[in-house]
Amino acid sequence: MLVKLAWRNIWRNARRSMIILLSVIVGLAAIVLYDSISVGMIRQMLDNQIGAHVSHIQVHNEGFSDNKIIQNYIPDPEKVEAAIQNTPHIRYYSKRVITFGILSSAYSSSGISLIGIDPGKEEQVTKIKESIIEGGYLSGKEHEIVIGKQLAEKLEVGVGDKVVAMASALSGNIGSEMFRVAGIYRTFSSEFDKTHIYVNLPGAQKMLELGNNISEFAVILDDLDQQQQIKTQLAAALNDHYEVLTYKELLPLLVMQVEVYQESIFIFYAIIAVAMIFGIINTMLMSVFERIREFGVLMAVGMKNRRLFWMILLEAFFLGTLGTGIGFVISYLLYLPLSNSGINLSAFSDSLTSFGAGTTIYPVLTVESVISALLVIPFIAVLGAVYPAFKAVRLEPMNAIRYV
Amino acid sequence: MEIIKTIDLEKTYRDNAMPVHALKGISLAIKKGEYTVIAGPSGSGKTTLLNLIGALDKPTKGKVFLEGEDISRFSRNQLGELRLNKIGFVFQAFNLVPVLSSLENVEFTMMLKGIPERERKERALAIMQELSIDMLADKRPNEMSGGQQQRVAVARAIVNNPSIVLADEPTANLDTATGSDLLDLMEQMNRERNITFVFSSHDQQVIKRAKRLLTLKDGKIVEDKMIEG
Repeated sequence: MLVKLAWRNIWRNARRSMIILLSVIVGLAAIVLYDSISVGMIRQMLDNQIGAHVSHIQVHNEGFSDNKIIQNYIPDPEKVEAAIQNTPHIRYYSKRVITFGILSSAYSSSGISLIGIDPGKEEQVTKIKESIIEGGYLSGKEHEIVIGKQLAEKLEVGVGDKVVAMASALSGNIGSEMFRVAGIYRTFSSEFDKTHIYVNLPGAQKMLELGNNISEFAVILDDLDQQQQIKTQLAAALNDHYEVLTYKELLPLLVMQVEVYQESIFIFYAIIAVAMIFGIINTMLMSVFERIREFGVLMAVGMKNRRLFWMILLEAFFLGTLGTGIGFVISYLLYLPLSNSGINLSAFSDSLTSFGAGTTIYPVLTVESVISALLVIPFIAVLGAVYPAFKAVRLEPMNAIRYV
Repeated sequence: MEIIKTIDLEKTYRDNAMPVHALKGISLAIKKGEYTVIAGPSGSGKTTLLNLIGALDKPTKGKVFLEGEDISRFSRNQLGELRLNKIGFVFQAFNLVPVLSSLENVEFTMMLKGIPERERKERALAIMQELSIDMLADKRPNEMSGGQQQRVAVARAIVNNPSIVLADEPTANLDTATGSDLLDLMEQMNRERNITFVFSSHDQQVIKRAKRLLTLKDGKIVEDKMIEG
């Protein structure tokens, strides 16, 4: 009956309850949408980085990640390849030669990161093939090069034009090679497009005097969550002369950004909570003051303080839960189409691409976000009712009955 | 058997730091089955006495015994427990819970006592039938007349078989005929169920029906007389 009483009590002043419900609904919708957009953006940034180049796990010669010089090549790539092939849950891998150099056209030159790849394997690991916007992907022919849109613009070259790449070879001499632009790509990041060029692996090995050696294995797993376990297995299969790094170790800034976000969402929750809690306190206080006589009677006929206290908290809980339920349905209905079509933020494309995010953000609603939102709001509502409930139970029944 | 006994009961309020002596040394005893009216002019201390007897307030001095137990120093919780189990209240303004139906209002104190729903419904309906208000079971207070509400309040007060029912100006908000009907009902309950009633009232029709009349003036009992039926 206490539940029935609390439920009916919230509808005594339907307009007031509707106002507080509305604030709960708006607060919840703000939390859900902000959270899902932020998670979507962070995930997109992470997926972009993983899909563009980083992959889930990379294997190098020891020290390569700190000093990416060509001399830091993997001396025994067959051994590493065998270890990768023998490790379960590795879906794809790609061999790369990586070095820094200069790419020149007839008009300009630019510092670049030269990546020699096996095109067939690389397209399983990264999205570079999907990112081609002009021309085509590497076909394996000699002297092919794929460059980014930004770089092409800077060098004033197009598909079919000649460019010359120069980089320090293994011997210390400058290795150089003429390439013809086979394709131009555009990724999520203008910075990436400006600096990364792709050539066929044998051509890069030849130019850099590497023989059959390579700089890096990039690995894609069946499941991203297995990265730590697979890293351990791979490291155990190799010796100390190799470094096995997960994407978290390769992208510390982005990982930190994710952590900062995870903390910042709580600040957002706190802001919403503070705004909401005062609304609840105000509503419940009004409700308590309007019912002082009634509380006096309830206490006079033997209702204990504890029950009265719970009844008021229950009223707030109902308001919070109802608002959360309606708010969640509304948020979800808003979220669903947005998660399919994405939110087009092309108006901010410059800042977004330099930030590493795409121009269309796809909100992602996680189970954690749903649980947090569904629990936090009713909790805040109940918390907001504690003070009014405390005021109610401190009433003296005799005085309360005569309250006018 | 004495249901209520007070010894040298005093109650002093502080009004703007000035002490107001509402009761000055009240000693009385009320026996099981009595039908007592506390009468007196406004400010004589009727309601204060009723509040002390009803465990709604604590005396400044003196003692209140309910069925032989000194309740003057009971804690807030103990007083609440006592009111729930041993005292029934009928208020001037009916004071039913507006969001509950009549039946639920009558059930309410049984719910507080933890009586299972089925039993409390049966008991509530039985008492409502006895008071001829069972047809009002589904109605909420705002759908009933004052007289009907007060009958429901009486049902709520007696449904737990309390040791005593305290009625503070129960007819004050009713017209004469309705008030008279209500008093008939309470007399009937007193007669048939031997329920002890204590009224506080200055309504002449209440006073005329008293079997014992306690008259207060300036916080003191100035007359205590048994009236022959």
